[in-house]
Parts: sequence; C-alpha cells; structure tokens
Amino acid sequence: MGPLAVNDIISPNTNFFLAFVIGIGFGFVLEQSGFSSSRKLAGLFYGYDMVVLKVFFTGGVTAMLGLLFFSLFGWVDLNLVYVNPTFLTSAIVGGLIMGAGFIMGGFCPGTSFCGAAIGKLDAMIFILGLFIGVYFFAFGYPMFETLYKSAPMSSPKISTMLNLSDGVFAFILVVVALGMFYLAEWVEKKFPREEY
Amino acid sequence: MKPLHYLTLILMILALIIALVPQNTTRPYKLTALQMLTEIRAGTQFVSPDEVADKIVKKDPSIQMIDVRNPREFDMFSLPGAINIPLQDILSETNFDLLNQGTKMNIFYSNGSTEANEAWLLTRQLGYQNNYVLQGGLNYWMETILNPMPPGNVISNDEIARYDFRKAASMAMGGGNISAIAPSAAAPAGTPKPGVVPVQKKKKASGGC
Amino acid sequence: MNQPKKSRYLNPYIGGVLLGLVLLAANFISGRGLGASGAIKSVVVATTQTVAPKYAARTKYFQEYHEEHSGPPLKNWLVFQMLGVIVGGFASGAFAGRLKFKVEHSPEITSRRRLVFALLGGIFFGVGSQLGRGCTSGSALSGIAVISFGGIITMMAIFGGAYALAWFFRKNWI
Repeated sequence: MGPLAVNDIISPNTNFFLAFVIGIGFGFVLEQSGFSSSRKLAGLFYGYDMVVLKVFFTGGVTAMLGLLFFSLFGWVDLNLVYVNPTFLTSAIVGGLIMGAGFIMGGFCPGTSFCGAAIGKLDAMIFILGLFIGVYFFAFGYPMFETLYKSAPMSSPKISTMLNLSDGVFAFILVVVALGMFYLAEWVEKKFPREEY
Repeated sequence: MKPLHYLTLILMILALIIALVPQNTTRPYKLTALQMLTEIRAGTQFVSPDEVADKIVKKDPSIQMIDVRNPREFDMFSLPGAINIPLQDILSETNFDLLNQGTKMNIFYSNGSTEANEAWLLTRQLGYQNNYVLQGGLNYWMETILNPMPPGNVISNDEIARYDFRKAASMAMGGGNISAIAPSAAAPAGTPKPGVVPVQKKKKASGGC
Repeated sequence: MNQPKKSRYLNPYIGGVLLGLVLLAANFISGRGLGASGAIKSVVVATTQTVAPKYAARTKYFQEYHEEHSGPPLKNWLVFQMLGVIVGGFASGAFAGRLKFKVEHSPEITSRRRLVFALLGGIFFGVGSQLGRGCTSGSALSGIAVISFGGIITMMAIFGGAYALAWFFRKNWI
C-alpha cells in the first residue's frame, strides 16, 4: 500500500499539498517543544536543558518502530522508502562542520525556520547564514567535489552492516535511547537552571 | 517524570515485539496472474537480435545488456557492454536499482532464452518495467549476427539489406565469417516490436535534504 | 530552581512522540523523511538559475542538481514542507503567545555578538549540510527512522562536533 506517493495512490500534486500539511505538523511540534529557542537548544551541550535529546530521539525511535510495524502489517514497502546515500568521509566532515555551526549559531536549519516564524531575529540571521553557506558550497563546488564524493557506500542500513535483523537493532536503539533519557533527567537535576 | 515512565513501558513492549517477530521480507507481487498471462501471450518482452545488434553497433546509451548466466560463462563470452547478474541474484537487494528503473532498456540474455525469460518473469511480476529478453538467446545470436547466412534463392531487397546489416554487425563485433549451417528463414515471425523505453516515473521518492 | 516549575513548553516525550508520528506520516505518504536544508538548496538553485542562467547551465553543482531532481527546483517536496514549517511554527507561537521580535542571547553577551555568531553558525551549517547530504532533520532524524548508516554517522558527527567545541563558546550560552 504505502508509500502512497511512490505507489501512485496519490497524485504528485496531492503529495505536494500533503508535504505542506506535514510541514505544518513538523513546525508546530518543534515550536511547541521549545525548539524555537536557541538557548534551549544549546542547553543540550551544557547539560542545563536536554530537551533536544529527548524530543529528537523519541521522535526518531517512534518513527522507526512505526515504520517497522507498518512493514510488518504490509502497509508500507520499506524498499520504496528513501534512504539517504552514505558517503562516509563526507558525512563525517559535514557532520563536524554542522556541529561547529550548531554550537555557534544555536540552531539547526529546521529549528531556525521555527524560530524565525515567531520573530526571533537571531534565527532569521542564521537562515541568512545558511543561504550564504549553501551558495558558498555551490560556487566552490569544484573545491569540495572530491571530498563530497569520496567513500561511497550506496544506502546501507546499520542493521545489515551488523548482520542483525531490523527488529533486533531497533530494540537495541530503543534501549540506548531510554538509557540516554534517564541520564538526561539526572544531568538536568545536576545542572539546574531556569528555563529560557 | 511520569511521561518518561509511560514512554519507557510502551517503547519497550513495542521494541520487544518487533525484535521477536520475524521480519516481513516478502515483496508483494504487483501483477496478477491474469495480467502476467496476457503479457506472456503477447510476448512483448522479446527483442530481436537484429534490433539489439543495431543498438550495440550504434553504441546506443539507452540499452543495458544483462547476462543472467553464471559468472564463469560470462567471463568466457559476453556481449559488448553487458553486465553479469546471475539468475540466482536477480532478487538481491543490490540489483534493485538496476532492474527497477525508468531510464534504460534492460535486455536479459542467456544461452537459450529460458533463463533470460525467467529473469524477466520475476522482475515483471514485481512490477518493474523496461526489462526485455534477447530473443533466442546467445545461440540464435551466433547464428544470425555473428555468422549470418547469405539469403537463399528467393532474394528480396529486404533480405539482402538484412544480410548486409548482419555482416556489418558481425564485423563490428569481431565475429568470424565461417559459414554456418543455419536453419533457413527461422526468423521469428510476427513478434510485436518492443517499444522504446516507456517513460516511467521514478519509482523511489526523490530525497536529498 | 528547586521547586519544579511548570514549563511553558510541551512535555519533551509527548513532543517527541508527536514528532515521530509526523515523520512516520511523511514516510508513509511520500516515502521520504523530513528535511530542511534541501529546501534551501532548491531556493539557491532556483535563484541562481534566474539571476545567472548561463552560469548555472555550465556549473557542475547545478548540473548535478538536475540529474538528481526532475522538474523546476521550487516545485520540490521539501520546499512545500518548509513553507508548512513556517506556518506551523507561527501557529504554535501564536497559540502559546510567543510571537515577539527579539534577539535571544545570554545576558553575558551583546545582541550584536549573538547575531554575528548566528550568521557564522548559519554559514557553517549551510556548508556542512551540503557535505553531509542533509541536516539534523534530513540526515540524522530521518536516518534514524530508516536505520540508515549514513544518517546515524552524520548525527554522531554533528553532536560530537558540537560537544567538542562547546567549551569554547560557553560564554555565548550559559
């Protein structure tokens, strides 16, 4: 049955409309969880507010379990769900640069749009920076291309690489995530600070 | 702390279930038996050797020859530009993107046409498009393309043209010029022309954040 | 802060489950995860093609974009989704009474310093998201949902990088 758009159950235009609706849900949840505040987001790195970790991993794990159950019931064909291709070096270097951007700017792209939507000027400036960064990458692409395309690995799943079934890996990830949540609660008690 | 406890309970139960239940790896067949029967009877999957040779000689970038024999046979002889996907690997995850795509015309071949046709049957049932079968396989290819027979007594312009083309194709592909004992006029009759690559939309959602 | 103070925000675990359901819906409906930086990429491609079509036509980055994507760059799933994010964020802020123009920063630093760092952070994130083929949402979050190796590697690199540098920027936040 699913994914609906890939199996032509809904038309491309409906798909775009639903993208908009999904976006509304995404933006609403992010803002309600406090992701529009850069100081709240940055709290993750100083231990005073672990909301990013909690929301992020609860979201990831929920969607992962949901997809596995959908696949089990035959509602969605996981082979047709897009998996980002892996280019190992590029993924690590890009991730580290994003980490630097995160700690300096206090946002990530998704949350900056949320912040900008409720009038945070720093979020708007961050978005401006994002555009400059992407333009820079586009115009300087020859400089980045070797790195960008090094160590291609197609689109592997971690479970396949570890020789585990998706379900067993999901279980391990859930245990790890829950462990982090309890740790996060403990850390927040240790570094108490008024909510921003 | 309350919601975390609920979350722990629910997630652990769900994760345990999903870890213990065997994975659903079946790929649903997209075509019904009746649809398959219609397609098999129509025989639209077959492409004649002449047409394939023409495309190979012209180095047509829109075709991809796929050898479904075992790697040993593939190493001994294969058609120009062919890749090897042994029949037992046809359902393998790694070949998914190659077989289910909308840009090229995949042409399966084996020694006869049986294995190639089996490969086509499997992929077609999964709903993949743009896969075809080389009619008669390599055996027939040898007879018609690599060692073409001069036309017999009844000579039509058509046949001469075809012979000339086959000779040329044979030379282009380094075939010998040994006269073979070919069955006369064994040319397949009444096969519908395989269509050009049907424009098919992307089967995977495009991504790229 | 010893007495538990009622948060102005949704409980993070409830928020997380809702986020997961949105992500699940995206995967079920459209066969893909959420994302943000991809929309920026589309806008960058679209503007460059409008302003300097000749340059775009002969530059590799833009050529490769068109090999991977069909149709006009702005008619893109992520662009529609990001428009939704702005609307959703605004609606949520309006409900909660959080609509206000302001620069949020630690009392230790000036607004100006905050804005300079926001700009720098944006530039870094922009470049990084291109190299990482997706940002925190597109690569990391959506990657977890489909158990993607690359997504989880990128996620660890993002958080690892940020933790490694956290000490140097502590004054901006604490």
